[in-house]
Amino acid sequence: MTIHAVVAFGLATLAGVAHGQGANGRGGQPPRTPKAAALYDITGYWVSVVTEDWRFRMVTPPKGDFTGITLNPEGVKIANAWDPAKDEAAGEQCKSYGAVNLMRVPGRLHITWENDQTLKIEADNGQQTRLLNFAPGDQGASQQPSWQGFSKAMWETVPAGRGAPPVGSLKIMTTRLKPGYLRKNGVPYSGNATLTEYFDRVNETNGDAYLVVSTTVEDPTYLAQPFLTSSHYRKQADGSGWKPRACSAR
Amino acid sequence: MKKTYFILIAAAGLLLSCAALLFAQGLDFSGRTGLPAGVDISGSWYPQPFQDSGLITASGALIEYGGIPLNEAGRLYALAWSPSRIQGRQHQCMGYIPPYTYNQPGNLRFWEERDPYTHRLLAIKHYWQISEGTRTIWMDDRPHPPEYAQHTWAGFATGKYEGNALTVYTTHLKRGWIRANGLAQSDEATVTEHFIRHGDRITYLSVVNDPVYLAEPFSRTYTLGRYVKEPDAWLYACDDGEQILGRREDQVESYFWGQHPFLREFGTKYNIPLLATLGGPETMYPELLDRFSNPAAMDASAAALVVPSAGAPHTSRTKDPDPHDGEIHVLPAQGNVYMLVGDGGNIAVQVGDQGALVVNSGAGQLSDKIVAAVRKLSEKPVQFIVNTNFFPDLTGGNVKLRAAGFDPSVQGSFFSGQFADAGQGATIIGQQNVQNHLIALKAPAEGWPSDTFVQGRRRKFHNGEAVEILSQPNAVTDGDSVVHFRRSDVIVTGEIFSTVSFPRIDVKNGGSIQGELEALNNILDRTVYKHDEEDGTMIIPGHGRLCDEWEVAEYRDMLVIIRDRVQDLIKKGATLERVKAARVTADYDDRFGATAGPWTTDMFVEAVYSTLKSPPKAAQKN
Repeated sequence: MTIHAVVAFGLATLAGVAHGQGANGRGGQPPRTPKAAALYDITGYWVSVVTEDWRFRMVTPPKGDFTGITLNPEGVKIANAWDPAKDEAAGEQCKSYGAVNLMRVPGRLHITWENDQTLKIEADNGQQTRLLNFAPGDQGASQQPSWQGFSKAMWETVPAGRGAPPVGSLKIMTTRLKPGYLRKNGVPYSGNATLTEYFDRVNETNGDAYLVVSTTVEDPTYLAQPFLTSSHYRKQADGSGWKPRACSAR
Repeated sequence: MKKTYFILIAAAGLLLSCAALLFAQGLDFSGRTGLPAGVDISGSWYPQPFQDSGLITASGALIEYGGIPLNEAGRLYALAWSPSRIQGRQHQCMGYIPPYTYNQPGNLRFWEERDPYTHRLLAIKHYWQISEGTRTIWMDDRPHPPEYAQHTWAGFATGKYEGNALTVYTTHLKRGWIRANGLAQSDEATVTEHFIRHGDRITYLSVVNDPVYLAEPFSRTYTLGRYVKEPDAWLYACDDGEQILGRREDQVESYFWGQHPFLREFGTKYNIPLLATLGGPETMYPELLDRFSNPAAMDASAAALVVPSAGAPHTSRTKDPDPHDGEIHVLPAQGNVYMLVGDGGNIAVQVGDQGALVVNSGAGQLSDKIVAAVRKLSEKPVQFIVNTNFFPDLTGGNVKLRAAGFDPSVQGSFFSGQFADAGQGATIIGQQNVQNHLIALKAPAEGWPSDTFVQGRRRKFHNGEAVEILSQPNAVTDGDSVVHFRRSDVIVTGEIFSTVSFPRIDVKNGGSIQGELEALNNILDRTVYKHDEEDGTMIIPGHGRLCDEWEVAEYRDMLVIIRDRVQDLIKKGATLERVKAARVTADYDDRFGATAGPWTTDMFVEAVYSTLKSPPKAAQKN
């Protein structure tokens, strides 16, 4: 055996192992789609359980109340200038329903796979739709900024035990956002904001299931530091509670 | 040289291959080989300040209950709560319970405890700075303790890895806070928690099931951030002190329902309708938004929620801690003292070099098993039986336990010649009125206390420690005592304190609400906690689980508050029927109430009312 042969053997073994590890084409089969490779099922109807930041979410806080959010001076200036009538006049009632705050809005979600590469989240409150794009390569460079931006999704796994199924989370990174509000009372985020989210599902012994959304907002324009929140939803048997509401600036 | 180089390269290649194969098996080389994998949360963390800012630890406005699925009892408890209560001696150093402990500004630390030989994960330990709490999350599938075991701030927690989360289930918690503005989490609550780690962040989801104060499961999330550099602040010293001089021991501040001075303060400040600020399941869900369009209707609905609803008292929603399985269960209390559960009232047994000293004898249904249980604890027979009260479920086993015992201290003594049966059987000790009542009930003479006292205390030095039997005049009856084992530091309260019912105040036999309160305060005058209202002096109640002073203080507070409500109504000329209709116990019914059985809520309210209207003749003080 030559040196080259030894190294080649090692590399070949690694390659084979790596090939066998992933969701991508075990034994010559075509790669599994993100839909097929889902670590858990988050499709269906979910209702938000508003038990955190209740007074900032269930009612509109007073102008200038940005408790808990570390705004920089420019952010403070914008927040203190909030004028909902102006937003209404500009047709921008949906500024607090962008991806950065949508999961904090009281309401219901309907989550479905639009196709094998795209998970769709519809929100009844504000009538917004988020598309989570799993397709490799697509970074949404051609997409115009919008309330929901461009969301890149992946199943992020962590090592599990011998023979155990992989565990992990749905990770989503959202960019290309249209400037909006972190809270309904005009606490701003800019078009430079990026949103990183993890969607996790946990099951209770009584049959309840929760969708837990962990969020980090980074915005060099208005935030002095990353803004972290967590929100959660409880699984619904059906869509009977679905109630579309228009965006409201107040 | 060339050969050596070749061998090294070949070995490296083989190692690389082996490592790759192991990697393929899912092994992570982190010491967990062959064990269930989990997301490691070891390290130092801190609660992120972004969410629910302003609500951390003791903060939060009064009447800020929105988003909490309170039931009527939970809401009424909060509406009656006055911030002045935290100045009470037993409240100043109150501990923190999960999940409340994750919403405090201090540091948190998690670490693993592994078997030193197998490296299997036994437990995840957890320490939190505020209140210096320590928690053990058992990972070895051990069962939870029985209902009659002690409750603590940290509770009894078991954990397992589920997906990418550590899931923890906790029982045996003390009554603590959802939020320290009066929103209580009862001692019957159970908590399921999920710790989900994403890099340097843990998202924490808790689900509280509380049959006493919540109408449905209460779920919420917090975020913890990981310290890159280990913090050096870990302590939170607390000793209670004299915060308000001259405050009476039976003074517990509370607001009368319908008279809260700050009822609308929070709602007005933030323009939130009162109904929404009062909480309840409907305030957690989007449907609440629809109600905001009609503030007048909301206000009308709110008015009905600040006072108890009409109707009969509620019955307790708690689990009976008595196993009712026909067996006697033994629980070490502390030092030389054990608690025996299963035959009516609780029994305490003190053992040592001398014969066993037993406090109360149960209902008499399982006396043989009690004798057998005592024999397992002590080679010596029962020497003394103390009766703290004459009630049949405390004295029903007197005859059999006495017969199984032996009191060598009187056999062959100077006076024993006058009694043919001296030393034959254990000696029964009790306040004189216990004997009087048993005689009146025509109970067998062999079961009467033969060693009685009238006032003050009966004291003994037995089994290596001082034992005081302290008369508590006109408490539940005119013959109550509590027993203090001073070295073991255990107090047996008899009927004066229970974790399962309102006190069975027997007015006909000399009981009174004021005497009951004095007795509870006498107990609290003797207790010392070990750390932040936990451990130290242990309490064996007449019925229910093993406790420490916290539960006694809570019971005292409850009775003061109920007494004050009844007294207020009496001053306004209320009849007994009107007092009952006012549901003065509504915030405690779901915990202690009964609508059937030997001791109902109505009977308790009647006892409070009648002894406030006509207090018993003042008895001798200790």
